[in-house]
Amino acid sequence: MQIMTELLKKPWFLGSLVVIFVAVVLWNIPIEKRKYGLSQGSLVTDYTGLLPQHVERVVKAENRDDMQRIVKEANRNGQKISVAGLQHSQGGHTYYKDGVVLDMRTFNKVLEIDERKKTIRVEAGASWEDVQEAIQPHGLALKVTQSQSIFTIGGSLSVNAHGRDIRFGSMAETVKEMTLLTPSGEIKNITRDDPDEWMKYVFGGYGLFGVILDVTLELTENDVYTIHTGNLKTDQYESYINELLNHRNTAMHYARVSVAPSTFLDDMVVVNYDYTEKQDHKTVLKKEQGVQLSKLALDVGRQGGDLEDLFWGTQKRYIGSLDGKEITRNNVMRSESTFMEYTKPGRIEVLQEFFVPVHAYKDYINDLKQVIPANDRNDDFKVHNITVRYAAKEDFTTLNYAKEDMLGLVVLIQHGLKEEEIANATSLIQSWTNLTLEHGGTYYLPYYRYQTKEQFRSSYPGWEEFEEEKLRKDPNNVFQNMFYEYYVK
Amino acid sequence: MSHKSARYLPLVVTVGQVVIFPYYIIWLKQVSLTFTLFAWFFASFSFAAAWGYRIYQTKKNKDHSYLFIIYAGMGSVYILIGCIKNSYEFLPYVVLPLQVVLGVLQGYFRAWHSDQDTYHLHAVHHYLIVGFMMIGFSFLKIISPVVFITIFGLLLLICGFWEFIRRGKLNVPKKV
Ligand SMILES: Cc1cc2nc3c(=O)[nH]c(=O)nc-3n(C[C@H](O)[C@H](O)[C@H](O)COP(=O)(O)OP(=O)(O)OC[C@H]3O[C@@H](n4cnc5c(N)ncnc54)[C@H](O)[C@@H]3O)c2cc1C
Repeated sequence: MQIMTELLKKPWFLGSLVVIFVAVVLWNIPIEKRKYGLSQGSLVTDYTGLLPQHVERVVKAENRDDMQRIVKEANRNGQKISVAGLQHSQGGHTYYKDGVVLDMRTFNKVLEIDERKKTIRVEAGASWEDVQEAIQPHGLALKVTQSQSIFTIGGSLSVNAHGRDIRFGSMAETVKEMTLLTPSGEIKNITRDDPDEWMKYVFGGYGLFGVILDVTLELTENDVYTIHTGNLKTDQYESYINELLNHRNTAMHYARVSVAPSTFLDDMVVVNYDYTEKQDHKTVLKKEQGVQLSKLALDVGRQGGDLEDLFWGTQKRYIGSLDGKEITRNNVMRSESTFMEYTKPGRIEVLQEFFVPVHAYKDYINDLKQVIPANDRNDDFKVHNITVRYAAKEDFTTLNYAKEDMLGLVVLIQHGLKEEEIANATSLIQSWTNLTLEHGGTYYLPYYRYQTKEQFRSSYPGWEEFEEEKLRKDPNNVFQNMFYEYYVK
Repeated sequence: MSHKSARYLPLVVTVGQVVIFPYYIIWLKQVSLTFTLFAWFFASFSFAAAWGYRIYQTKKNKDHSYLFIIYAGMGSVYILIGCIKNSYEFLPYVVLPLQVVLGVLQGYFRAWHSDQDTYHLHAVHHYLIVGFMMIGFSFLKIISPVVFITIFGLLLLICGFWEFIRRGKLNVPKKV
């Protein structure tokens, strides 16, 4: 005690206390999160906040009967309904002018886990995180999810999302059964052999064919994988991925392409998750780790030029350091997202994803060099990251993006919000989309609609069938959103 | 004049600091992303104030207390706060060192002030003045706390300047 009192009299001791405390606080300053969603005053937005819109009301989904009543009423009084999950879609998919928004986040109970059959029945407002928490103790894992667990099941199935898995096909194909609240207000149990083919339209249907109430998903074992990483040139990737798919013992995979000036679209790093024959019941679900450092690194990369080269080098080293480590399937499916937060006023970061057939990848990347500049340091439109994932051919849904085996390039883009800056971004993204179409590719629809209606139609030739079936199944156009209004209506 | 300023400057500074406190809190709450961070900002201020207090107390030559630097330093911090744009993404990283600087300066000033003969008299006066001023301010519509903080910063800079001149004047005869 005496020593303590003496110490507290020493300025150097008090100074050190301040320095240590400040360091601890600095390390723990939370990352500012973008403000978006259903509670932004009188206007609602989604993840980008780009399309603020007035809605009549937001209804928290709590029970089936209430939702059914709302849908039936809307059929009578001409009201429009949109469905919202966690609102990570970026083009007004979850709301409509003066409409009613069904906020599904409160409809999130896990209903049943069948360990023997390896299935889970869960309400559609649950997030992947909720599902993982429920199945992890049973040694089970999901077959297909995005690379993060921050989305709802309903939202993910409605865009037919994809991620790092390369073995189980599309997300839609992992659904055994679902309960649907149809546009006419019926509650139906739908199986895969349903003669009305509801699944074909509801999955990848952007909330336009009713409300997914619950689904029964197929699960798999929570396998333990060994991480294998490597560096490649972009022109080697096509043969690399073919070899991986056909001959290697790899369960999951993704890659990154350099957008740093000195290695622009030439360098790649690949990350594979290889089977080990081991399964895991004990490893806990990982929490977000090293968020401050990752954010700092990304912020450095955001400066462009030499600093982007530095960022790329750091990423490569970091990814390389993972080589040989083990990780569970559940943990591969929940990578960090908070570090991507970006809240600078007057600027925005958006995602776009372009799919190209695996065999067209090399030429596509070469041609892409003519569309976007290698060094965007002084440009308004900046590309910060490109991640590549494999999306297996899928012709089950109507608006299908993988008409053959595709590679999806997820692009993180930053641009300004002045009218001319948005126009410039739009023009560049449209050129990029044209190039993608020329190579037999498509673009992903959950993101902001920079593309034209014509580009949409060329990318999704199924759109006419989609529209016809929408009229048939929802003749009063009860389910509506800004995405559909822009592209189809 | 120099005598008067020796008497009144510390009073202006203490009163000002208490009066500005509510506005400063509002500002700090606005820039803190969470309550936890808000509380940590205060904790860092407090630790730094303890440090500043002991720096003065253990100082050998108390005749040279460099008060003008303390006033000007505090003034500059408040003016800086006035210039910062609120929607700045890494604001918390800027606010934290400012809290520390402010804490050290305030602790140092407090230690110096409590050494002065006028300290106890000032304490009574300052409570009364603050009371009346706050009643006055209650009739004012707050435009933005930042405006008050900046004005107070300027006032402190003037105090610093004044103190500097006063000190110069006192020093001159000593040197002759
Ligand atoms: C940071 C980030 C990373 C991403 N990573 C990936 C990725 O790795 N892979 C990928 O494929 N996608 C990815 N996406 C896109 C993401 O998968 C979609 O935006 C997905 O829709 C998000 O789910 P959500 O719960 O936020 O859905 P929301 O945005 O809330 O809704 C999306 C659509 O689903 C509909 N909907 C929601 N719930 C229901 C329901 N219960 N019934 C019927 N319709 C419903 C909505 O009406 C809307 O049209 C990413 C997006 C972001 C912002």
